Amino acid sequence: MAPSDSKKMSSTSKAAEANAAAKASDGAGVPDFTAPSNFYNREISWLGFNSRCLSEARDSKIVPLFERLKFLSITESNLDEFCMVRIASLKDQVHAGYKGVDIAGMNSQEQLDALSVKVHEFVHDQYSTFNRSIVPALLKAGLKIAAFGELEEAQKNFLHKYYEEVIYPVLTPMALDSSRPFPLVRNKSLNIGALISAKENSGKLSRKGKKKKPEMEFATVQVPSVLPRVIELPALSDGTRTVILLEEVIRGYIGELFQRYDVVCTCAYRVMRNADLTIDEEEAEDLLLEIQRQIKKRQWGEVIKLEVEEGVDKKLLKVLRREFKIADADLYYIPGPLDLTFCMKLYGLDGFDEYKEKPYTPAPVQDFEGAASVFDAIRQKDILVHHPYMSFDPVVSFVSQAAVDPDVLAIKQTLYRVSGNSPIIKALATAADNGKQVTVLVELKARFDEEHNIAWAKTLEKAGCHVIYGLLGLKVHSKITMVVRREEDGIRRYVHLGTGNYNDSTAKIYTDLGLFTCSESIGQDATAVFNMLSGYSEPDRWYKLLVAPIWLKDGFKKMIRREAENAKAGKPAFIRAKMNSLCDPEIISELYKASYAGVQIDLLVRGICCLKAGQPGISENIRVRSIVGNFLEHARIFWFSNDGDDEVYMGSADWMPRNLDRRVEIVFPVDSEELKEEVKHILTTEFEDNVKAHLLLPDGSYEKIDKRGKKLVNSQEQFCKEAWAKVPKKKGTKKERRFTPSEGI
Amino acid sequence: MAITQFAAIDIGSYNVSMEIFEVGRKNGLRSLTSVRMPLELGKDTFALKKISMEKLGELIRILTDYKRIMKEYGVTDLRACAKSAFREAENRDLIIDHILRATGIRVDILSNSEQRFLGYKSIASRGEEFQKFIEKGTAIVDIGGGSAQISLFDKDALVSTQNLLLGSLRIRENLSRIDRETLRYDALIEELIRSELVSFRKMYLKNRRIENIILVGDYFTNLIFQNRSDMNKTETRDEFMEWYKSIAEGSPREVGEEMGISSEVSTVLIPMAVLYRMLINEFDVQTIWLPGIQLTDGIAYDYGERKKLIKSSHDFENDILRAARNMSRRYASNKQHNEALVAASETIFNAVRKICGLVPRDRLLLKVACYLHDCGKYISMTDTAESSYNIIMSTEIIGLSDRERSIIANVVRFNTRSMAAYNPAERPKDLSTGDYMLALRLAAILRLAGSLDISYKQKADSLKVSVKDRELHISIGTKEDYTLERGFFDVNSEFFEEIFDLKPMLKVRTLG
Repeated sequence: MAPSDSKKMSSTSKAAEANAAAKASDGAGVPDFTAPSNFYNREISWLGFNSRCLSEARDSKIVPLFERLKFLSITESNLDEFCMVRIASLKDQVHAGYKGVDIAGMNSQEQLDALSVKVHEFVHDQYSTFNRSIVPALLKAGLKIAAFGELEEAQKNFLHKYYEEVIYPVLTPMALDSSRPFPLVRNKSLNIGALISAKENSGKLSRKGKKKKPEMEFATVQVPSVLPRVIELPALSDGTRTVILLEEVIRGYIGELFQRYDVVCTCAYRVMRNADLTIDEEEAEDLLLEIQRQIKKRQWGEVIKLEVEEGVDKKLLKVLRREFKIADADLYYIPGPLDLTFCMKLYGLDGFDEYKEKPYTPAPVQDFEGAASVFDAIRQKDILVHHPYMSFDPVVSFVSQAAVDPDVLAIKQTLYRVSGNSPIIKALATAADNGKQVTVLVELKARFDEEHNIAWAKTLEKAGCHVIYGLLGLKVHSKITMVVRREEDGIRRYVHLGTGNYNDSTAKIYTDLGLFTCSESIGQDATAVFNMLSGYSEPDRWYKLLVAPIWLKDGFKKMIRREAENAKAGKPAFIRAKMNSLCDPEIISELYKASYAGVQIDLLVRGICCLKAGQPGISENIRVRSIVGNFLEHARIFWFSNDGDDEVYMGSADWMPRNLDRRVEIVFPVDSEELKEEVKHILTTEFEDNVKAHLLLPDGSYEKIDKRGKKLVNSQEQFCKEAWAKVPKKKGTKKERRFTPSEGI
Repeated sequence: MAITQFAAIDIGSYNVSMEIFEVGRKNGLRSLTSVRMPLELGKDTFALKKISMEKLGELIRILTDYKRIMKEYGVTDLRACAKSAFREAENRDLIIDHILRATGIRVDILSNSEQRFLGYKSIASRGEEFQKFIEKGTAIVDIGGGSAQISLFDKDALVSTQNLLLGSLRIRENLSRIDRETLRYDALIEELIRSELVSFRKMYLKNRRIENIILVGDYFTNLIFQNRSDMNKTETRDEFMEWYKSIAEGSPREVGEEMGISSEVSTVLIPMAVLYRMLINEFDVQTIWLPGIQLTDGIAYDYGERKKLIKSSHDFENDILRAARNMSRRYASNKQHNEALVAASETIFNAVRKICGLVPRDRLLLKVACYLHDCGKYISMTDTAESSYNIIMSTEIIGLSDRERSIIANVVRFNTRSMAAYNPAERPKDLSTGDYMLALRLAAILRLAGSLDISYKQKADSLKVSVKDRELHISIGTKEDYTLERGFFDVNSEFFEEIFDLKPMLKVRTLG
């Protein structure tokens, strides 16, 4: 959310709220840190994050034009997922008569009402950005998004041919009449609705001799998702490159689809359905089959949002609203092309390089360079990898080298989301082929990746891997790989622990951290993790790892309390942490208590943040920032001052109830002093960011950091430079010329 | 590379545990991983006297999973041990056969004494820590579901070990009908077990000062201590009592809530905690050691010792012999005669060992048989053979399996009973054909050695034994008249010759 808008949003008296929070005390002067007035609603906070993404799309000063298209597209896909899951879930609660309130004291209906207003505002902002800022800028840059009616002759000819040969064969127009029920409209699919009337009826007179009103039927055609949404046409005569959207073409030729009819009006529309899987794991005999069934059902869940083009014909809209049972709050009039994710396709057009960030090539990880194998390198010392600044290759090599290493006995890995053509999956299959014991925990419940995960889980099973399909009632979100290797001095376990998924594609755009180690204690813990995931006993103790759901939250609470105790004892105390979301009420209350005790708390929370920063008497010592940059901030880092003996942890868990209570997550310490310094440097640099960072204000809004008179710090850019600075420059190989005298005869 | 990956499997009444170790000369034992799966085999056995096919299927599934883990660690050797749940099951042989065929894993059933001995070995696997502890009076208390084993040490040696029917489950079952009638579950338990403990103290702690106590047990022992400290910790009595108050004075429900366990489990834990506390008070100990070990540690340690990968600073064989000596003292045996008998038997054993494939463990059995050879005289001077047999068979000797105990009891019986050498028809039911042969061999040695001190006067000043041309040459140096011994030697040599196909030849040198 842009700062000005968020100020508008939080027009409820923030000051009064803060005072109320401060007053809600136990009577002994200590505030009630758990009072709902001390928390933001998580859904509204999430919308704030999407607004920060949108602000990047608006930022014409710093962000190159085509990068802005990317951000706009991201806000759209984010919003879609939000509606399909979060809003859908609130609607489910309302239907079920659930009366409970959230962390901020709002019941489900109150949240839905507030969200409807805010989502409408957000959509308005999206299209105002698109129409007023981006489209003119594109035109200026030499790219026109054309309407059907404004094409030049050559373009028309090209398009006609394209329509005949490519589009027409895959269209399936459907008309609705008494004999045919309303067709099933797929979730998120783009469609064109039309009112049509039979030509034979036109001009007929009624009994009274008046011209009969033509009888209208509803017809619809799905814009095929198999075809590219953006079609590039021959350039305009002035050289301007032109694209047209697929739905615009279909609409242009719609008359050809209903030849015996007159098309009275058309309108593009899109529905969003409840896509949250509801799986009763206790009842499900076979989780894999049950998830497959649910994925199919997802296409036909309750419609929770209807988008139509602005200016839609009233009668046409009436049909749509009736069929989809849509209330006003869930109806969106869109002043432009529906589904802005097509902006990502525009970004993908060849050329326009001056309007895009230079693609970044991850730097090779120096600790692995020159080593005979990844294992040799890790045996020398613990190794930290910072993606995407550093290459993801060592992570892939870790598995692929293990797959062919004759000394490797076993490979164990948890997989949450992997890329389409994952080299890791291939390596695991090779390892099984080579007789290694391969155990893979595949999280089937990774949202929106379920179908994909089922497919490659089956591939792994066929290859002979031991595949575990998640745990009953828990999502396995931890990112851990262990390689068991027989070496001269006995068994050694090599472990990789990460903050991000084993996904070589997202590793190029998500900022994550990974640690390679062969520490005995982490090896023991890693073994215990896999034993636990395999359904064996829980370990009696953990040497190093903090593992959710049972042990992690308490571990964090203890560390926060320790800081509070130190602060009370007059010792310096601080907490610096970075995560994607912060909404666990217990952790937030502990942070408030720590702040109250004098602990300095600096947080980098990219997305949802239910904590209120800078509230008098509650959180005066807490500052929250959010970085939204070219790369998606994804790492989780936790740094506790611990009376001068710094403790630094990293891991897969956010401070959210779902991570701490309902998932298997791993948070691991960074013990090596050298690596600890590196991680601390990363956090420190991010806190210094004044280009991409937004600061959470006491009124709940975010604003960009004031950079007047300061050196500009763009942490992501700086990490790119630092990663390459570590790579020794190749010296020019100067050819040596030598004249050799011939031997005398 | 003298490093082996070894899997130790403990099939208990409630859990099937496996721990994989690396066993090597350089680093001793290193635990690589341990897993545990709940399986209530005991419920079947204790109620139905047999293990159901359903539980068998589950056990086979668990063991198959464990085999996969073994592969992950390149395990080359394993030992699977079962305890009372198998011991008391009438269909145990069938179950063992099914498991072997389905998984390739041979399950050994441990006798109570073997089981306790392995538990004890696992503590000893802590090396110096253990040695230092047992220099002073120390009790090892090992509480299981059905009984508690108390072993007393003094000056580096085991002096007594007793099994009391005070298991945590047994106590719970005994109190199950009345526990609703009291708010102080711990007080009820205390009342129930006090008399047993008082008797124990009177009989075994007389004039003995116990300063240290080592608390071990099964999975539950580790469970009750898990929340409060790292395992392998020593603490003072006061520290222990402070913790005890927080855990054992609540109701099972409160304890369950506190520890995050079901109240059914806490009803097992509370008797265990009370028992530990009472023993600490009864023995008046100052230091408590929670080594946090499992039976699997003992199985692995035992394996390492047998494979000569681990050399213990503690002499476990001596513990077994010491227990046998104490037992012979209790039955008023002649100490000097016993020692002479042990020396002579060992010399003969060493001479014939290689010829007839006897192993060092057989020597230990022979020595125990020497100490106990006439314990039956305490009961009957006329039927010593049967009385000795019965005494041995009804006494637990720590470190020995039931099979070994049967062999010893029969050796002692064959030693005294007049019998016509080898006769398959006379093979006792409790011995297999192989064990019958072994018992006859050991009895032949014992008889021959016995005849060398038939007067109980230890006349021999020197003894040399060698084998030459199918003859066993025994050379005695003595200052006394050896006529009586010579006579008995001839009687017993016939039996020896038939068993070993070696003719015993006695040469007596009269020393100046």
